[in-house]
Amino acid sequence: MASANSLRSLMRPSIPVAPRLYPIISSSFSTTTALSAVTGRAPKSSVVTSTKMKKNFKKGGGSTSAPMKKPNPGERKAFRKRIQLSNNSALAVEGVEVLKADTLAQSSSAGKMFSIPDEIIDQLRTLEAFKATQSWNLFRKPHFLARKEAVELGSRLENAAKKKEAEKIVLTGSKLSGKSLAVLQAISYALLNKWVVINIPEAQDLTNGNTDYAQIPNTEPAVYSQPVYVLRLLQTIYKANKAVLESLKVEKDWPLTGLQKGNSLAELILTCKESEFAWTTFNALWTELTFPGRPPVLFSLDGLSHISKLSQYRDPAFNLIHSHDLALVRTFVDALSGKTKLPNGGAVIASTSGNNMQFHPSQELVLAQLEAGQLGKPIPTPDPYEKNYDERVYESLKNTSVLRIEGINHDDTKTLMGYWAASGLLRNVVNNHTIREKWALAGNGNVGEMERVALLTMRM
Amino acid sequence: MASLAGGLRHLRCHGQLVKPQWQQVLAVRPKIAPKMGMRQMTVESNGPTRSADAPASTEPIALPFVGVHHARQVPTSPSYFTREPRFNDLYIRLTQLLNKYHRLPTLPANEAPTLPWMKVDQIRQQLGEPVKSSHFAKMIRVGKRLNLIDPSLRPNEIDIVLRQLTRNIDPYVNNIRPITIDKFGRAIGVGKRKESTARAFVVEGTGEVLVNGKPLNEVFGRVHDRESALWALTATQRMDKYNVWALVRGGGTTGQAEALTLAVAKALLVHEPALKPALRKAGCVTRDPRAVERKKHGRVKARKSPAWVKR
Repeated sequence: MASANSLRSLMRPSIPVAPRLYPIISSSFSTTTALSAVTGRAPKSSVVTSTKMKKNFKKGGGSTSAPMKKPNPGERKAFRKRIQLSNNSALAVEGVEVLKADTLAQSSSAGKMFSIPDEIIDQLRTLEAFKATQSWNLFRKPHFLARKEAVELGSRLENAAKKKEAEKIVLTGSKLSGKSLAVLQAISYALLNKWVVINIPEAQDLTNGNTDYAQIPNTEPAVYSQPVYVLRLLQTIYKANKAVLESLKVEKDWPLTGLQKGNSLAELILTCKESEFAWTTFNALWTELTFPGRPPVLFSLDGLSHISKLSQYRDPAFNLIHSHDLALVRTFVDALSGKTKLPNGGAVIASTSGNNMQFHPSQELVLAQLEAGQLGKPIPTPDPYEKNYDERVYESLKNTSVLRIEGINHDDTKTLMGYWAASGLLRNVVNNHTIREKWALAGNGNVGEMERVALLTMRM
Repeated sequence: MASLAGGLRHLRCHGQLVKPQWQQVLAVRPKIAPKMGMRQMTVESNGPTRSADAPASTEPIALPFVGVHHARQVPTSPSYFTREPRFNDLYIRLTQLLNKYHRLPTLPANEAPTLPWMKVDQIRQQLGEPVKSSHFAKMIRVGKRLNLIDPSLRPNEIDIVLRQLTRNIDPYVNNIRPITIDKFGRAIGVGKRKESTARAFVVEGTGEVLVNGKPLNEVFGRVHDRESALWALTATQRMDKYNVWALVRGGGTTGQAEALTLAVAKALLVHEPALKPALRKAGCVTRDPRAVERKKHGRVKARKSPAWVKR
């Protein structure tokens, strides 16, 4: 192309010039030559028709688009999973009480907003109790509404610690109704009361085959551990419960770990540097926590249906492994079913997921039966034509109690919307009509939907 | 019909409009034909066959067809040999009337009396003939032209014929039944949009909404659809005063949401009739008549033309 241009420059002027005018010089006696001369010598050079340009441009890409730097490995996932807990553009809300150790257990705190104290925010972050889908990033500081169910949950945790029993709870409810937030509230209660908290933020990470697994030797039938996941979980437990664990001394002699009698549980975790010993260490920690005189334990898991089905892992005969045959899941399920007692009290909380739900007939049945039993309604019977019932799932859940979380009432809505308005996010006047309108548009008070309707939908 | 129209072509000539019709001239003939609905046409018209000078004593036997050399039976109606004789007779009658009275003063179309015109299916059923809809449309056009003639000047025979072209309905039967609040305090409104139909049961309450037994967020994923479903209550600031229990069937999400708007508005109007202007301003009173435009032949969709292909 360049060479063609250069050649052309030799032949024609590069600057477009006006077409030459040829005067018609006609004799009075003859017009023929003049007319023929004009038509014959009409300037038909490319200079004159230089307005003719190439029309088909390449759409997108090519040299015109700016060079983009590709994101580094893991950068996109980090961005997707990023938790932003403050927003400087939002107004700071004055006069909101700070959450205290016994706040959630008091019935008087129902229907009030509370701010999460700074000292547990880092712990909650470590435990991944904040979810990327929750809209913490809209507000100046993280606050939550202590709804009726949260207070009920808090008081049950308090009772469990007093009576030294395990409170086994399954949280259910429709999408975006606040189940994960209820788990967060339970964890904050536990952290403020110096419990030991073990949280599995996404149950699907355990069963979808994305972490490595190995059969635990000398187990019949085979049980599988997930070393890398457990190592990471141990480090999370250490970071989140450091103060509590450092105050607890190891009571039993654990070979392989090289611990001495006076060492703390925190040091027990720290001895595990490699994933080979992760499961042994977790097992040791879990056993140590069940010795008398230890603080209560909160073991929570989000996404219950993922541990009710067959996992994506295969056994040596290439059959799918049942999720309950994974060691960590089994530990949780044993605690949830009451097979493992928690002699120091505590709670085992499993929360179902609304969006990322796997339908499991046994789980649906047992939860429906439990709920009907609690409400004094006729108990649903199993479907005789259903073939996918799973006895293990049924057994694991039948001793729990179901806490259903649905929409909030009008008074709670008023409190919440008052907070939104004080943060400068809700522009409407918070009156009776606005409250009922948003409440109805959000499907009778579903909190997540209410956020979507009132805060996240752009209005122009 | 086409051949018939050809046969009637002479009627279009103004010169013949005033003249009596040719059948009427022959209808005077003695009763020979009517038995079979036939008449006879003579090739030679010789007048009366009986001779005047016949003796009166001997009872003269009337000999038919004496002196008639060539005769054939011709039907009374020119539409006898058509496929739809009754329909064509009606059409001929209408055309005759129009020819007869087309000079009478007419009203503008919007002032003419409104008549419930017959539908093509009904006339097929009534006459028992396979009437073509295009032919029927032609006839209705003539009927409508006759209807334009000023009623005060209109002859009775036009009214008699037009009665055959109208449906036999009682306009007083078709009253709009007003919606009432039933003994449970419910007002039931029905709304439609596109393919969707909605029934809304509106009671006084605190602003709870259930559509098909589900909360609004499970029925409509889009916030805009939820807002349009409850727009009648939102626009009039009545969200906190009523409960809505609704059933929606058919169509897609937008259609269902906007059918609900209309249904809720109608039910709300029963509770508070004074809200009508406000609701009309909010666009909740009128049914949106827009629907999918039909596909046309030679086009890919309703309007889209196929891609141009060289050769």
